[in-house]
Amino acid sequence: MQLIETLINGCLLGGLYGLVGLGLSINFGTMRVVHLAHGDLIVLAAYFLVLVLVPAGIPPLAAAALVVPVMFGVGWALQHLIVQPSLGRRSDPGVGGGVLPPLIVTFGVSMVLQNVLLRYATADARTLQSSLASSGVTLGAITIPTVRLVDFGVGLACLGLLLLGLGRTALGRALRATSDDLDTARLLGIDPRRMYGLAAGISAATGGVAGVLLAATSTFYPSTGSEVLLVAFEVVVVGGLGSLVGTFLGGLLLASAQLLGAHFLGPSYALLTGHIVVLGVLVFRPQGLLPRTAP
Amino acid sequence: MTSRHAGWLRAAITAALVIILVACPAWGSDGARATLIVFAYYAGLAQMWNLLAGYAGLVTFGQQLFIGIGGYTLAVGAERLGLGMWPSFALAAVVAGALAVPVGALTFRLKGGYFAVGSWLVAEVFRLAVGNSAYLGNASGMFIRPARTVDPWTVYYLAIGLLIALVALVVVTLRSRAGIALMAIRDAEDAAAGLGVHVWRLKLLAFVVAAAGTGLVAALITVQTPFIQPNAAFSIEWSASASFMVVVGGLGTVEGPLVGAAVYVVLQDMLGATGEIHLIVLGAVSVVVMLVAPRGITGFLRDRLGWTLFPVARHPPRVAAGSTTGSRAA
Repeated sequence: MQLIETLINGCLLGGLYGLVGLGLSINFGTMRVVHLAHGDLIVLAAYFLVLVLVPAGIPPLAAAALVVPVMFGVGWALQHLIVQPSLGRRSDPGVGGGVLPPLIVTFGVSMVLQNVLLRYATADARTLQSSLASSGVTLGAITIPTVRLVDFGVGLACLGLLLLGLGRTALGRALRATSDDLDTARLLGIDPRRMYGLAAGISAATGGVAGVLLAATSTFYPSTGSEVLLVAFEVVVVGGLGSLVGTFLGGLLLASAQLLGAHFLGPSYALLTGHIVVLGVLVFRPQGLLPRTAP
Repeated sequence: MTSRHAGWLRAAITAALVIILVACPAWGSDGARATLIVFAYYAGLAQMWNLLAGYAGLVTFGQQLFIGIGGYTLAVGAERLGLGMWPSFALAAVVAGALAVPVGALTFRLKGGYFAVGSWLVAEVFRLAVGNSAYLGNASGMFIRPARTVDPWTVYYLAIGLLIALVALVVVTLRSRAGIALMAIRDAEDAAAGLGVHVWRLKLLAFVVAAAGTGLVAALITVQTPFIQPNAAFSIEWSASASFMVVVGGLGTVEGPLVGAAVYVVLQDMLGATGEIHLIVLGAVSVVVMLVAPRGITGFLRDRLGWTLFPVARHPPRVAAGSTTGSRAA
């Protein structure tokens, strides 16, 4: 019975992991940039909620709703000020095969964010105090924390919104066109810079949602940003590059692997078990669960 | 600098630098010695990162794997198995190089940025595994008692010798056929493959060489400390400092990592070795350099003034007069 409870918890937490991965996936899908500060943006959102909005007396739900547009703006601004200019450096033959510039600048942003948080928000553990974290839903012999249900529901809702937005709207079509064929998209009057800014904004907005859930689900520190980036990366690799649904499923698999590792081997093996499952996927199914399906 | 005099001048400058370093006991204090040891190991680390990112097109944030493995090889060899300091030192290169084969085979399945993070993930696996191992002292790590009796000047000569050897290794590699092939891969992987370059094999070779070199750097650091702990040894900060030094000094040049390491050591001295301000400055400077002068300090000197110290760049046989001959590495 305890094993079933662990599995259910894993799948539910997987909703949050999937959401974390979606942000990285959108960024990479549109502009082929692995945004190394994605984890830190999520943690930044969590700090913004817990240290700025909640102490200011804004009710948690309203505060959470406020985090998302703010993070959209942060992502959009970061894209235009730092990431976009580095993309122009990709064609410079003196700068290492093109992948280096965006990696260096996003890694630099990650270092700055993480250490600014460490300096000004200290290394103390933080979490969002709410009734969600302490309550649970009981089904027979199984008790599930309410917050995990919220993680899953919100994660799934975000996936649905993204699929609808990318699949059914004109803006989504323009984004996908930019991703599939930059030159043709440009010929059709799509401004790639605008699309990249939009993608970075959407990615950071999903990060804002993930940050709120992170704050409600667990304790976090400035260094949590690196852990979250690795989670995002693992989820994307397991799910299969280029598939949002795959990414989400990857989140379920990774979270289940971590919780099963903790269940059988002890809490200190949770991360390690997750990592090893991901490396196993890389050995036996390097294309991931659902590679390159829609959209 | 295209004439024959340039060759002599380069040799003279290089020789002068080497003599100044070797004669350090004659002019340097203990403080200078300590600073130069730190400079040497950071320069060695950066040199190896540059071999990957600047020449093999492998941008990685996972070199801390080989810092950790090299350091723990020395620690286990000298402290646990009683193999002696210097055999353990050499073994660090062997173990790191050997581990690079399966790690490379696995992580090369990922491309570009995903390779960079994938290698970081492998380093995390080892950090967590070592932290869970009682034999290796868990998260609190272990002391290397035999290393305490090593004379500091011995460590100094070891550091300088290792740095010179690593620079020489890179120069010789780049001047060989494999070096040309590596640079071809970096500049146009598909075209290189089309011309018959064994892309995968050469990248793996570069990965193994860089791992072995980084393993030696790690052994040196561990002898000097003499203490090792998984969270510090497998820390992402090794890759952060390596990428900083290479980007600021100049990617894809042999001089770049040396200049970058000098800048790094000076900054560390000014801002304190640990602490947030140091890392904030490192992060911010790498962003600014990448956006404003992406070829770093040496790239700037080369583009504007045509200065290079190590002759590894390749020029097309006939170049129109007045063009910037020295501006592009191969």
